[in-house]
Amino acid sequence: MKQTAPTSLHVAFAALGLAFLAIFSWVLFHEGVADWRTTQARFRRIEATVKNPHQLAAAASVGGLRQIWLPELDRVDRCGTCHLGIDDPSFAGAPQPFSSHPGTWLTTHPIDRFGCTPCHDGQGQATDYLNAAHQPQPFVTRPMRPLETIEANCGACHRAIDAPDAPRLDEGRALIVQSGCFSCHDIPGFDGLTFHGPALDSLGSKVRPEWLPGWLKNPKGYLERSKMGNFRLSNDEITVLQAFLLSQRAIPPLEGMTVDWKKADTANGRALFGELRCVSCHAVNGRGGTMGPELTRIGDKVRRDWLFSFLKDPHRVQPETAMLQYRLTDVQLRDLTAFLLEEYRSGDTGPEPPPVTYQDARAVMAGRGIFERRGCTSCHRLGAMKNTGRIGPSLAGIGDRNPDELAFGRGNVRRTADNYIFLKVLHPDALLQTSMMPTFDFAPIEAARIALALASIRKADLPVSYVRNRPMPPPFTPAGHFGELVTRYRCLSCHSVGGFGGTLSTVPLDRIGSQLKHDYISKYLLNPGAVRVSVEARMPFFHMLPDEATTIADYMTSVLLDDTLDRYDATFSEADVQRGQDLYTQLGCVGCHQLGTVGGYVGPVLSDVGDRLRPGWIAAWLANPERYKPGTLQPDYGLSAADARALTAYLSSLVDGGRPKSAEQGGRQ
Amino acid sequence: MSRRQATRAVGVVILPLLVAAGGCRRTSPTPPGDAMLDAIRAEERVGGLSYGAGQGKHLFAQYCATCHGDEGRGDGQNASNLNPAPPDLTTSKNARDAAYLRRVITQGSAAAGRSALSPPWGRSLSAQQIDYLMAYCAAMTQSKR
Repeated sequence: MKQTAPTSLHVAFAALGLAFLAIFSWVLFHEGVADWRTTQARFRRIEATVKNPHQLAAAASVGGLRQIWLPELDRVDRCGTCHLGIDDPSFAGAPQPFSSHPGTWLTTHPIDRFGCTPCHDGQGQATDYLNAAHQPQPFVTRPMRPLETIEANCGACHRAIDAPDAPRLDEGRALIVQSGCFSCHDIPGFDGLTFHGPALDSLGSKVRPEWLPGWLKNPKGYLERSKMGNFRLSNDEITVLQAFLLSQRAIPPLEGMTVDWKKADTANGRALFGELRCVSCHAVNGRGGTMGPELTRIGDKVRRDWLFSFLKDPHRVQPETAMLQYRLTDVQLRDLTAFLLEEYRSGDTGPEPPPVTYQDARAVMAGRGIFERRGCTSCHRLGAMKNTGRIGPSLAGIGDRNPDELAFGRGNVRRTADNYIFLKVLHPDALLQTSMMPTFDFAPIEAARIALALASIRKADLPVSYVRNRPMPPPFTPAGHFGELVTRYRCLSCHSVGGFGGTLSTVPLDRIGSQLKHDYISKYLLNPGAVRVSVEARMPFFHMLPDEATTIADYMTSVLLDDTLDRYDATFSEADVQRGQDLYTQLGCVGCHQLGTVGGYVGPVLSDVGDRLRPGWIAAWLANPERYKPGTLQPDYGLSAADARALTAYLSSLVDGGRPKSAEQGGRQ
Repeated sequence: MSRRQATRAVGVVILPLLVAAGGCRRTSPTPPGDAMLDAIRAEERVGGLSYGAGQGKHLFAQYCATCHGDEGRGDGQNASNLNPAPPDLTTSKNARDAAYLRRVITQGSAAAGRSALSPPWGRSLSAQQIDYLMAYCAAMTQSKR
């Protein structure tokens, strides 16, 4: 018997079939008129105007989807489907999306290895303008970055703190280092770096009691460039915290001092202040270095006895300070102290107040509680108090934080990780009223730079072959007498060895013994002059003992060496010297260097360069200055070996005020 | 009222509410701002420089300004030591000739038949950096036109 299906099923099948046909033809039609097809047709028309027939014949035919597959990065980028001229310089001025990529970025980052979205973000798999998220889109976490913030993506791979080709990122990271954000937060990429506020063991003997509450209320009110944030403490909190802090007198000022303050000679103190080059590190009235605290109102803050003791031996009370220990007599110390306290204060500070003795143990204990709770120990050492570690949350993966999980407060702000970090850095309590994070009063642009640097800290770990890690220099801790001197004079606050140390000086000490002559080093240490006239931060006048200078020069010229420089054959002929002198004129060296009384003051004075520099170093430096000092103002002239040798011969002959040595001798003969 | 009717009544009440809520959501008064981007633009768009020209400005300050002056007027702190003195780049005709300018920057002023006082930067700076410098120089001369 023949079975027939019910009519309703026939109808359903027919409808389904029709619907399928309709969808199928719609898809075909949609594909046929897809954006990228019309774009490619437009490209072919433009290509015909940009290229001549020969080039056209040679050019690869454009048709179909183009994609770059980056399995290591787990990305498929189809941007090339429309951006057809991206790696072809002949499309430099073409309209978008056909314009070639500006700059040399594709040379350093080949497109088949880096694709597009690792740097630009956006939806790489999309093939039309809207879905590629050229502009922010709902539900797209990472739309294309505008150029202003694109450097956040540079930082995902380039993890050295200096990023000279990404200036905004570079600035942001420098701000993080200066502000010591990593004292309270674990920040990947900044591990191993330390940041210290002063030790507080003897705060009670250091500061004038009336100064402290104002400082705790608003540090920027005393020091505009204070590194300490504003903890938004209530007056009650300040009162107890003050009680706790002023009761800290573990290290009294040096005892047995018999300083006759009445005899203090502030004029001598002023002369010393200039001579010691204090302003290389400390600013006064807005000018000077930033390594140490500004001294403009130091008279409002510290006690006289404490300042005297600190200047006499800074490391006794502040073992971690960058400040060196000058070799000064008590009379000099007295005059300097008196000058500082009298000159740099906001008004008559009156007589030294007696030390405060707190009877109220409860207030002290309450202050201690606040000290611990607000994480003061993250930056400040205080006797036996345990370092509670980093009080703030870890910032690992912060650039990938899901905006929906972040507290944005009520502002009408696009919810992105970038904006969250930015607002948090700018006003921590605006987003979350109970935030423990202090306010640092960053300018909006500073907050934006810091946020950009933090946004580069991503969750996913990139393949090793893509990552340029931060070099971690091994510490330089020389032993013996030299080691003691390095500690005492804090050489490594400004200079570095093997990348370890400070960056204030532009002269790393790695090969200093092969650069400078022994006698010059020891003479210079005893009386450091200005080799570079226009540089403001100069080496301090240590008042070093002659045998200390000799010890340092001995060590440098026997340990801190570079054999390749020392092997240089330094026997020059008269012809070399003469040819070098001609080159000196031809190359225009006089524009930047002074010789005798003639020349510019951009580079070092060359009048006694033959006494100062060793020939091997001169030759190596002239041949490739960028190698030894990236970003130097010494141009690379691309000198031939013979020319570099001739110039070295001439410069080595310059001693004693810029007269060539050999020419003088020749004259006498 | 049967159970079915009750469900229908609830549906009739809730559906318009949902639609209305959706509608309200869409007509939010102003689109949300991009706080971080605004801060950067407020700082960087001073003078209307493009990104490249802005980068060039930094390079100019580092490598050129000691002689040419912060704004290219030939009044840098080292200018008084130079003979011939550096030209005012904002008015110089040569500075508007891109090919000439690139030659002077990369090969030095001597390569253009002038004094040797402006050194060659072609080996010290990357091609990218020189492009940025060119962009800044172009912006400097354009602002004077």
